[in-house]
Amino acid sequence: MSVSLVQVEDLKVEYKVYEGWLKVLNGVNISVGKGEKVGIIGESACGKTTTVKSMLRLLASNGRITQGKVTYHGDNVLEMSRGDLTNMRRKRVSMIFQDPSAALNPVFTIKEQMYDIIRISADERLSTNQVHERAVGFLKQAALPEPDRILDSYPFQLSGGMKQRVNIAFALISANELLVADEPGTSLDVTIEDQIMRLLKHIVDERGLSIILISHALGTVKNFVDRVYVMYAGTIVEEGPTDQVFNDPRHPYTRMLIDSIPKLTGGGVPEGILGQVPSYLTPPSGCRFVTRCPYKMPVCDDAMPALYSVARGQSAACYLYDEKHGGKK
Amino acid sequence: MSKSILTAHNLTRYFQTNKGVIKAVEAVDFEMHEGEVFGIVGESGSGKTTIGNMIIGIYPPTLGTLTYKGEDLTKGANHRSKELKRDIQMVFQNPASSLNPKRTVRQAIEVPLKVNRTGASIEQRVDELLNLVELPLEFAERYPGELGGGEKQLVSIARALGTSPSLLVLDEPTSALDVSIQAKMINVLLRLKERLGLSYIFITHNLSLMRNVADRVMIMYLGKVREIAPTEEFFRNPLHPYTKMLLSSIPVITDVEERAKPQRIVSTGEITGALNVPPGCSFHPRCPFVMDVCKSTDPPLLEIEKNHWVDCHLYPNEYKKTQSA
Repeated sequence: MSVSLVQVEDLKVEYKVYEGWLKVLNGVNISVGKGEKVGIIGESACGKTTTVKSMLRLLASNGRITQGKVTYHGDNVLEMSRGDLTNMRRKRVSMIFQDPSAALNPVFTIKEQMYDIIRISADERLSTNQVHERAVGFLKQAALPEPDRILDSYPFQLSGGMKQRVNIAFALISANELLVADEPGTSLDVTIEDQIMRLLKHIVDERGLSIILISHALGTVKNFVDRVYVMYAGTIVEEGPTDQVFNDPRHPYTRMLIDSIPKLTGGGVPEGILGQVPSYLTPPSGCRFVTRCPYKMPVCDDAMPALYSVARGQSAACYLYDEKHGGKK
Repeated sequence: MSKSILTAHNLTRYFQTNKGVIKAVEAVDFEMHEGEVFGIVGESGSGKTTIGNMIIGIYPPTLGTLTYKGEDLTKGANHRSKELKRDIQMVFQNPASSLNPKRTVRQAIEVPLKVNRTGASIEQRVDELLNLVELPLEFAERYPGELGGGEKQLVSIARALGTSPSLLVLDEPTSALDVSIQAKMINVLLRLKERLGLSYIFITHNLSLMRNVADRVMIMYLGKVREIAPTEEFFRNPLHPYTKMLLSSIPVITDVEERAKPQRIVSTGEITGALNVPPGCSFHPRCPFVMDVCKSTDPPLLEIEKNHWVDCHLYPNEYKKTQSA
């Protein structure tokens, strides 16, 4: 692996709700190298978004980080001063959100929103002409035709695909090192999603950015990233090189998840994974997949399994791979 | 399996808005057979839900005919006979919003039973329905908020089955669910179909799912039918350029699937709004094979191979050329 850019260590996050604290993230470890494309996959509410939001300290006000460390270039993001944090968000890292409509302010034109971001992210004072030139440049990079018309539009005058391209253009303004894309194509039609993902890939490759791509659409992630993390109920259950994880998944959850997807080649639909994701109010104290796992052993209830190495660069958090418990290592 | 039960001819639905007329569904022709899973696929705004809504009677069509087992469906639900209304039921996309959060599962399932009294004990019938959809009986006293997404959707299926319908309109029944839950739902639906001899209209935007569920697939684009074919044939030999573009845009997870895709047609352009549908073939601004005729004339739906209908100027002439070459 290349030099690490971002490192998340043993992160635990909880959310306050009426009934108590939702213990969402339970010891998440993630690292992203320079120029590396990393994916986080998992079903809804498994903590994908919470993970990246805590990395940028964007957690909602009812969330708290109870344990762990996030380092960016070796600096602890969680202890950064306000100024350093702002600087990081303005100059180095940006995020693309799932819903392109919600990410744009409906009462300002694209121009007003974009000029602000460009001015605030620039080191020096820019003339209006310079700002305009840059804005047009970023919109063109996001493959938007007629940038001048786009700049004068309000978000509601643009289609979903165009709005997402505008969001990508916004993200490009300050993403000089890392781009975090949270389900960037999910709310779009499949032909448009295809266009957006190709555009993102092109930009990331051209600029040599690192990217964290979050999605529940496994196919989208597989075609994009070098390395993938699989999350289930707030824990990382498997990680490894993308092809390896998809072709030879080791964790029972990853296997069953991949099997659950209807294939374009037919062959029927398998039974899926029985049961429900456990409640975050009272999650199992051991492995969080234990309530749905067909290979459950007594030890699974006792403590969270560590990540066991199962192949080169690939590891799975499952006692099946622990030698003490009849591991198949 | 050959008996045709649902027939649509020149089915059209316009919506008047203050910005103009939205042509949601235009001149759609199709036939559905008994015991079939008839899939309707399309991207947002293609009119697939509008067709489902007309079948169930949420609103009548603007033009055209729609018949189910000889009965006229062009009247809205209020003007249909009770028997007809019983016979066709619908399952909606989002189970969280189609169930009343303040009613227990039993209360939800009871409503259609009380409206359509059949003599049998309602309590027994609720248990029977829960059994049918493979939910434990103790779920009857729970509220929707205590159920997972998949379980909620099973409750809405149970409710739809309450009147013993013969046709179910399933409008994106699994889109709001995770894949691991979706798989189970689909299997329950397929088992129910066999057991109760149902026919399904299955509306979805997910082609991979369609491949595994439908017997025949109809693909729509901006309110028009672009291609209809038996599922096997549809995926083996897609003919319409839009179908090919759609199939090659799907992100898949295995190499086998990657090879099964048609020759890649790179997705370009965007679906225009239904307010200003382009003249001629509505797909022409995005079509890589666009010809002059496409910009002025809308192609007719032709049967190019047996049971394989396509609406595109490339056929039959261009197709014959490639076949003989």
